[in-house]
Amino acid sequence: MNGWRTLFPNAWYIAIREYRGRVRSRSFVIGTVILAVLAFAAMQAPILIDAVAGGSQAKVEVVVRASSLPADAQTVLDQVLNGTPAPGSNQHKSFDLTWLTSDQLSAAQKDLERGKFAALLIVDRDASSRDLVFTLRTDLPADGRPAQLIGNAVTSLAIEDRLVRAGTSTAAVLAPTRWEVLPVNSSAAAPVNSLNQEISSSLLSTGLLVLIFMAIITYGTWVATSVAEEKSSRVMELMLNATTPLQMLAGKVIGNGAAGLTQYGVIIGALFVGLVAQGPLHRAALGGSDSGMAISGLTVPLLASFMVLFALGFLLYSLLYAALGSLVSRQEDVQSATSPLMMIVMVGYFMSVFAVQAITETWVVILSFVPFFSPYLMLVRVAGGHVQPWEFGLAVVLMLVSIALALFLAARIYSAGVLLYGQRVGLRQVLKMARVSR
Amino acid sequence: MSLIIDSVSKRFGDVQALEGISLEIKPGEVFGFLGANGAGKTTAMRLVLDILRPDSGTITWNGTLNSEAPRDTWGYLPEERGLYAKMNVLDQLVFFAKLHGVKPKDAVRETREWLERFRIPEYADRRAEQLSKGNQQKIQFIAAILHDPQVLLMDEPFSGLDPVNVALLKEAFLEMKDRGKTLVFSTHQMETVEELCQAIAILDRGRVVVGGAVRDVRRSTGRQVVRLAVDGDPEVTWLDTLDGVRVSRRGQDYTEAEVAPGHDPELVLQEALRRGCRVLHFEIADPSLEEIFIEHVGQIDTSERTLAPKAVHA
Repeated sequence: MNGWRTLFPNAWYIAIREYRGRVRSRSFVIGTVILAVLAFAAMQAPILIDAVAGGSQAKVEVVVRASSLPADAQTVLDQVLNGTPAPGSNQHKSFDLTWLTSDQLSAAQKDLERGKFAALLIVDRDASSRDLVFTLRTDLPADGRPAQLIGNAVTSLAIEDRLVRAGTSTAAVLAPTRWEVLPVNSSAAAPVNSLNQEISSSLLSTGLLVLIFMAIITYGTWVATSVAEEKSSRVMELMLNATTPLQMLAGKVIGNGAAGLTQYGVIIGALFVGLVAQGPLHRAALGGSDSGMAISGLTVPLLASFMVLFALGFLLYSLLYAALGSLVSRQEDVQSATSPLMMIVMVGYFMSVFAVQAITETWVVILSFVPFFSPYLMLVRVAGGHVQPWEFGLAVVLMLVSIALALFLAARIYSAGVLLYGQRVGLRQVLKMARVSR
Repeated sequence: MSLIIDSVSKRFGDVQALEGISLEIKPGEVFGFLGANGAGKTTAMRLVLDILRPDSGTITWNGTLNSEAPRDTWGYLPEERGLYAKMNVLDQLVFFAKLHGVKPKDAVRETREWLERFRIPEYADRRAEQLSKGNQQKIQFIAAILHDPQVLLMDEPFSGLDPVNVALLKEAFLEMKDRGKTLVFSTHQMETVEELCQAIAILDRGRVVVGGAVRDVRRSTGRQVVRLAVDGDPEVTWLDTLDGVRVSRRGQDYTEAEVAPGHDPELVLQEALRRGCRVLHFEIADPSLEEIFIEHVGQIDTSERTLAPKAVHA
């Protein structure tokens, strides 16, 4: 094991060869193009959502037969049904109201029957109580959201009508209510997150998790395949004479990792282009201004932590992938040989999916220090903002230690495994062989 | 000043691949490893290359342990040919040379020279998978020598080659020998050994059954061979009746008989003359390597006691 001194330049040559071979392969080119197109398309999702939401607008005709409706009745209904628009925004309206007079009732009824409108609201005034009376004609479900919202709206209108009749001014009735939302801990200076921000940050950590998960599985398998390929094509024997197992391991991990990063770079580029193109495309497709989807919560510390965890996680797993790849003689067997490792990767990923909702739970905190799971769970904790710097540092140190161990172990398995052909080999057997050979 | 294998043993699980073999291969010599499949030839070469480590015993080159010797001491042509299928010929030869510390420019020049010599200069830019087996073998040979190794170890270099390519490869061998390189190869082909080798070792089940200079090996049995043809008696039936003489082959041109140690082959000629035969052909020779091989190892069987990799086709 005198490889450290002489790791380079051979590891470098091997890495370059691996990188070129990988990047020029047809599967790499096709896969990258497909992923880039998907990434671009995913960025256009808000347009789709808006288009679908726009189509779900309920058109309601309102026939007023009641006399002396409050002056701002139209505003009240509109506000309760569609919410108060933020100043200057061109917000999507869930209800489109058409106001008609009593003589237009029969025409309105015909339009309703023809399906031009989803509902017909008739406003009357009770002769004895003088209260407003409402009738809604519609085939929408009576307990559905639109019907309920209309129910709320007409209740507000009826209350306003009573207050106005009792002598309260309209302005006083509609004066906005003061209320605010504060964090549980009143001394905390942090502002309460908006719902959008909350969703965005959990989407973000889920997205980053998927990135790590996919990278480890895909690029780890590349490493294992490339080892098995060299073994099955017998180039291995030439390589063994020219290089050391450590040089080969390092070269393969670096080369395939760089190819993986290249693919990621292209995908992230496509995401970015998609994000930039979103506005213009939105305007072209739907008209009006775009809602825009900013990535909030992507801070520099989070991005830096992501890159550190990504790199360390990839190193740790791909070393083990290389070791397992060296145990098989044929590329077809790579899948089954690496399946134990795949299980660990999957377990880590699924735990992290649950952890997003339970960042402060003890099991998440403890497991976030286990090197195999740190790339996921520590990332979730960082994204949630519940990590002390020393905790992150400890996780990184533990990962570095386990990478050193994995390197040592992988080099041993590798140097014994690469010359074993034919038989399926147990790990124990290989370790025994590794001790007696070099 | 030579390659010395001293009491080297190697065991794989239940199989004793090599059992205390000792050999000395002199610098500049062409040395042949003979043996049935599974005799331990490949293991012996891998041990010399330090791809495997012996359980006991040492291997030294010019007094230096093989594990301490620089890696570019050795050039290796493995039995199972392996090249990067998708990579073009020039690129991968330069890649292998670079791993041994050769400058890319020198590697390119050397590669082109050798491709020229092997009459395949146009293959430099082809992918390895597009080449025939024989041509891949030539590429493999170039890969083994580009870094100018002192010792060239070749496992079954002639297997699967047509006669033209065998001749080209033999020429390249002799060229390497003229450059002062030490050549070690394993083979089944006895004629090639008799043609090229100064020394051999016959391996059987992990042991050296006989080894040394080819001439000494051929004389090692003490037996001699006479070839006799007499006019009018193609069967020479009386030959078998002589003490210590056993007919081994009756051919068209002559009858071949083995003469046991301690018996004078001249007596065969004297007996023929005594019987009044007209002798057309009489020859005394040492037994061929093939005969010695069969005597030590038994029939060249094809059943395998294989430790070396079997071919796997993905």
